[in-house]
Formats: sequence, structure tokens, C-alpha cells
Amino acid sequence: MPSRLQSMAKGVATVDVKYINPFVESVDNVFQMMLNVTPQRQKLKLGTGQPNGAAVTSLVGISGKVQGVVVLRLPHETALELAKRMLGTEVNVINAEVVDAVSEIVNMIAGSAKAKFEYDPPLELGLPTVVQGNDYNVKYPSGTTWLEIPFESEAGNFSMELTFEEN
Amino acid sequence: MKALVVDDSLTIRRIVIKALGMAGIKDTAEAADGEEAMKAVQADSFDLILLDWNMPKMTGIETLRALRSAGNKTPVIMVTTEAEKSRVIEAIKSGANDYLIKPFSPDQLASKVKNIVGAPA
Repeated sequence: MPSRLQSMAKGVATVDVKYINPFVESVDNVFQMMLNVTPQRQKLKLGTGQPNGAAVTSLVGISGKVQGVVVLRLPHETALELAKRMLGTEVNVINAEVVDAVSEIVNMIAGSAKAKFEYDPPLELGLPTVVQGNDYNVKYPSGTTWLEIPFESEAGNFSMELTFEEN
Repeated sequence: MKALVVDDSLTIRRIVIKALGMAGIKDTAEAADGEEAMKAVQADSFDLILLDWNMPKMTGIETLRALRSAGNKTPVIMVTTEAEKSRVIEAIKSGANDYLIKPFSPDQLASKVKNIVGAPA
């Protein structure tokens, strides 16, 4: 029987190849098309569940043959800059408009990525949830592996965390 | 010419309304879900409906089917993150006139609008 560590390592390898790339491609596509931003992917690492300086965290669930969660973590300045680009107006505080813009960004990333899998029936997308502030800690269900993909961009740094399991 | 923009995201409604302006449509109304959309079409008449898929209370595909079941023939463009081919086919079979996948550029939406309703004078 494989050890828990071996199982996790195997899980990471599977997620990396099969599930990560569609999401990275979707980040590129959404940021370039809707925000005129070109993000640069940094080195993949295991997710920690910590806000890591994020002021706004947006989550959306995906269900069906594959079950998972997509999390977008944005520092304060990045959230404001992305909202400004998307709304076409200056924003100086994280308000309902910023939250709406950020939730739509994660919604488009998840929707665009899930379509690349072309499951039949298609995977179902939940409605996005946004957490404001950084005084929280996500408790990951036991046995799930979360991966974090940091990005750098001209609109600021941000990161995406993912977990995926086949049902 | 008047268009109804149905999306639970205020941000997307703004972007769609801006694109409609590029297509010459300045008269718009907004709904944040399918239930609001059904109320809007009962209270007013529209020349075009832009309809999101994933919304609370009543989804876009449910709204589309309800509109067509009620005999409403207003042209509908689905504007959605649902990008699978089977979703597009499902929407067209349910009565959608066109389909635009998010993310999109305002030019793409304006082009589809002009194809459906023509360029307003």
C-alpha cells in the first residue's frame, strides 16, 4: 500500500499535468481579453490555506465528474487595479463594485478552464464567493491536495489556488 | 431600439451596455437574474435580450426556455462562461439566436448584436 506521502506526490503530479494548465491558460486569456494585463506564471507550490497578504479572496466551486475549488487571492493594490481596468473607472477603496469585478474574474477563469476538459455532461460551475480581509485561514478537507500558482503582472501580484479530485 | 441585459454581475452588465452603445443601442434595461428578466419582459417590450447562464434564482437557460414557452420571440444572445459545445447546442435548441463566450471583447459583442438586429439608424 502506498504511503500517504506517496499518494500525495502522485496526486500532485496528476493535478499538475491534467488540471493545472487549462487554468493557467484561462488566467492568461481572461486577463489579456478583459483587463489588458499579461500575467507571468511563477513556480508552482503546495497551497497553505493562508491569505498570504491577500485583501480580497474569490472562490468558486466546480462539480460533476471532477470536483474542485478555484481560489483567486489578490493583494489590496492588485484588486483595485484589476477592478479599475474592468470597470473603466477609478476606484480607491474595496467596495461592492470591486468585489463584483473580482468575483466575475474568478468566474470567467473557472468557466473558461472547465470547458477545456469537455466532460459530458459539462462540469457545473457554482456561484462565486468573495472574502474581504486577511484574518482567516482556510481549513482544507483531509486528503485533498491544494496547489498554488503565483503570478506577477503589471497590475500587481496575485495567486491562484486549486484543488481537484475525480469522482 | 431597446435591449435587456441580464447578468448577476454589475460589472458585466456595464461592459455589455458599453458594447451595446458601440452597436448603436443606447436604450437599455437591466436584470440581475432570470426572475427579474421575466418581470421586465412582462412590463416592457425589447428588441434584444443579452442573457447570462449561471445566475441565482433562475438560470439563463431556464429563462430562455420560459421566454420561448410563453411565445416571446425577442432575439436572445447568450453571454456566458459556459463554453462547452454541448452547452452552445443546448442553448440554440432552446431558442437562443446567438452565443458569446466570456471573456469577450466589446467589439465581439457589438458585432454579434449588429448581426442579429442590424445597425440602428
